[in-house]
Amino acid sequence: MWNGAIMRELGTRWGRGRICISAVRGSLAFALIVSLCSNGLAQKPTPLDLSEASLEDLMNMRVTSVSKREQKLSSAGAAAYVITQDDIRHSGMTNIPDLLRMVPGVDVARLNANTWAISIRGFNYRYSTKVLVLIDGRTVYTPGFSGVFWDQQDVPLEDIERIEVIRGPGGTVWGANAVNGVINIITKKASDTQGELVSVGTGSQETASGLVQYGGSAGSKGSYRAFGKYFNVADAIQPDKSAASDGWHGVHGGFRADWDFSGRDTLTVQGDLFGSSEGQTITTLFSNQLPDAHTFTNKVAVGSGNILGRWGHTFSNGSETKLQLYYDRVRRFDQAFEVLNTGDADFQYHFRLGSRHDMLAGAGYRLTDHSYTESYEITFGSGHRRDNLYNTFIQDQIQLAPSLTLTVGSKFEHNNYTGFEFEPSAQVVWTATNRQTVWASASRAIRQPSWFDAESKLDAATFPLGGGGFGLVQLDGNPNTKAETLLDFEAGYRIQVSKQLSLDATAFNSHYSRLQSLEPGTPYFTFDPLPAHLVTPSYWDNLAHAHDYGAELSANWNVTGGWRLSPGFSYLQMKVGTDPSSHDTSTAASVGDSPKYQAQLRSTVKLPHRIEWDTSAYYVGGLRIGPVPSYTRLDTRFGWSIKEGVEFSVAGQNLLRPDHLEFFDGLQVNPTLVRRSVVGRVTWRF
Amino acid sequence: MAILVHRNLTCRLVLLAIAATAGHVHAAESVPDEYQVKAAFLFNFAKFVEWPSIAFKGPEDPIAICVMGQNPFGTALEDVVRDKTVANRAFVVRGVLNTQQAASCQILFVSASERKRFRILLDELKGRSILTVGEGDDFMANGGIINFRLKDARVRIEIDAGAANRAGLHVSSKLLSLAERK
Repeated sequence: MWNGAIMRELGTRWGRGRICISAVRGSLAFALIVSLCSNGLAQKPTPLDLSEASLEDLMNMRVTSVSKREQKLSSAGAAAYVITQDDIRHSGMTNIPDLLRMVPGVDVARLNANTWAISIRGFNYRYSTKVLVLIDGRTVYTPGFSGVFWDQQDVPLEDIERIEVIRGPGGTVWGANAVNGVINIITKKASDTQGELVSVGTGSQETASGLVQYGGSAGSKGSYRAFGKYFNVADAIQPDKSAASDGWHGVHGGFRADWDFSGRDTLTVQGDLFGSSEGQTITTLFSNQLPDAHTFTNKVAVGSGNILGRWGHTFSNGSETKLQLYYDRVRRFDQAFEVLNTGDADFQYHFRLGSRHDMLAGAGYRLTDHSYTESYEITFGSGHRRDNLYNTFIQDQIQLAPSLTLTVGSKFEHNNYTGFEFEPSAQVVWTATNRQTVWASASRAIRQPSWFDAESKLDAATFPLGGGGFGLVQLDGNPNTKAETLLDFEAGYRIQVSKQLSLDATAFNSHYSRLQSLEPGTPYFTFDPLPAHLVTPSYWDNLAHAHDYGAELSANWNVTGGWRLSPGFSYLQMKVGTDPSSHDTSTAASVGDSPKYQAQLRSTVKLPHRIEWDTSAYYVGGLRIGPVPSYTRLDTRFGWSIKEGVEFSVAGQNLLRPDHLEFFDGLQVNPTLVRRSVVGRVTWRF
Repeated sequence: MAILVHRNLTCRLVLLAIAATAGHVHAAESVPDEYQVKAAFLFNFAKFVEWPSIAFKGPEDPIAICVMGQNPFGTALEDVVRDKTVANRAFVVRGVLNTQQAASCQILFVSASERKRFRILLDELKGRSILTVGEGDDFMANGGIINFRLKDARVRIEIDAGAANRAGLHVSSKLLSLAERK
């Protein structure tokens, strides 16, 4: 019979047949011999049978908790994927954007050393607008462009508990801008990061990184952690292989404290201070120096801070309330001087009605105060704007039958651009057997307009006029801009085929309307600023639509006890068109740039002497704009637990080619190439 | 596969081959899943706990292991109790939705998905001879008898002997000695 204790005992007993089985299980060549070696029978190896294990044996067994994640996922009525801390460690990645590559359906493209274009299910762009990103419940997208500045988001990877990625609309619970998905980065509780941690790394691209963290008790009922980290990333290279100037470095300090009072009340307080500076090569006009365009290294500097508090209360009947408040301030200098202050209050109530209804209701208010001044070629209205966002939502999870649940709900919001919006959704989950789940959903989601959509004026390009002088192409915001709308239908299937193999498949059919289009306006002549010139304005409107469909597939296969394979695949077909009333000839605004096919394979191997060997390969299809050819990324990592509390790892990334291009269109920002690199790290825990 | 080679010799050859390529022979441990081990514990509890005779309808009645809430075991529970008997009783595994259905169970595993209702559930089951097992910080505080905890990637159990007594159950001292008492 098998169990962990016996396996350890056999480690040195050559004569016993049983050692052969697990040592060679993954290998075809040894299959014959394996059958001879097993338990004196010339049969297939017996599966793990714990029924004869004694209590003491059971208490000594080391277990994996993979199924816990899969169990949570197995009942979700949406295309959900969880990146665990183990996934993060095995990946060898050093930043959050790269981690997102392992989720089928997510497009990640590195524009330069400090800039990424990330989206879900299409429309990828440096300022991609349709994904909501949160860190511990705090929204990190900028209402200026309705996008995310990924260089402003920094979380020590060792402190991430998990990253939940939902592909498809999450509007009902998460609100506007969760049109194509939600990325929720969740950090570990302070009680899980106690003691000292020092981590130091260096590499060819990540030239320096250091993290010092300490966790201790906060009174008798709480814990805290505080950390400081520094990183420095080297310049990449230009497409013509000359040196780039996109290197960046940053400093980040933060803390988190959690208290558990009497099991009924929990309190979390966390905060960060972050500063970074980086370079980019940009090509831009200067609105007060027309018509010349200049290409130069633009310096970007970011300073930000936030503080968040979350109070949870559990009532004696089991219902819960949660109140969250946060304040976030970002100052960014990037072709303009931008300050964004956000204050947010959010309340949720979770309760049961009868035995079949699990209800979640909430209300929230967000105040944003945004100023954007002194830029090279773009203005935003008067340069200052204050907005109120009110929202409320309700969701009911109904247990129709023991294996069938129906979840219906809607979010209702009021924003300063389009007024009242609502986002309803319905999901059905059928647990067909205890190994298979089938789900389907229908939802409506909206993307709230950004300040850019409504009030910007961007001097995009100049062109010479026949008789001398020049014309200026200007892209203008539209105060009557509407919210982009999505009607989405999707379905999925999850199966635990065997103890070793599980599969997850999703198919989606999405109809977008009121997508952003660029409509020509009436040209006019002006003297402001001099020299006199012709202005040919185009303005943003919502006269495009799209029909997208596709599928995502992921699997986990425990080939042997120490070897796991995770393949993934995604397919996306985008059909974008303009409405009959539109005069937009290119729909360049709405399409963005995402590959049609993506695939990946990740392998994790446990070797003797506490060594891990992880390899991942990602295939990313080509992009239209550029054009950017398809590429395959190959990474490999060795991790070694030298002794208790000391870990060493070395990883090679992008091994297949010395350099490659991943994205082209960054508006004024010029792309650089992603290079082959190596990075090493040592971590001490006391 | 009837290959007539001496078993031990073949094994030694295999191991030599592996040693030559890998430099060291070490069986990659087959690591059981957390819920396979917890399922085995539930089966073992039946061996080390005595129910009063009124807990069963008759001497032939099977021991019912019930799961309330999301079932995290997959097929591990059925697999571990298949064709087994304890005190001449066979096992049956079923899922239950509410306390009425749970009333006829001997062992009730309450999934973490029911966390919000631990108190109500356990209150409603008071007085019945049901061994309530859960996994969660507040399961015992709300009246549960056995709680699973994960420590250093190993499954540990906590037992509230007082709650077991009040439920009319007799827990063997062997099981109590292995548990972290509460």
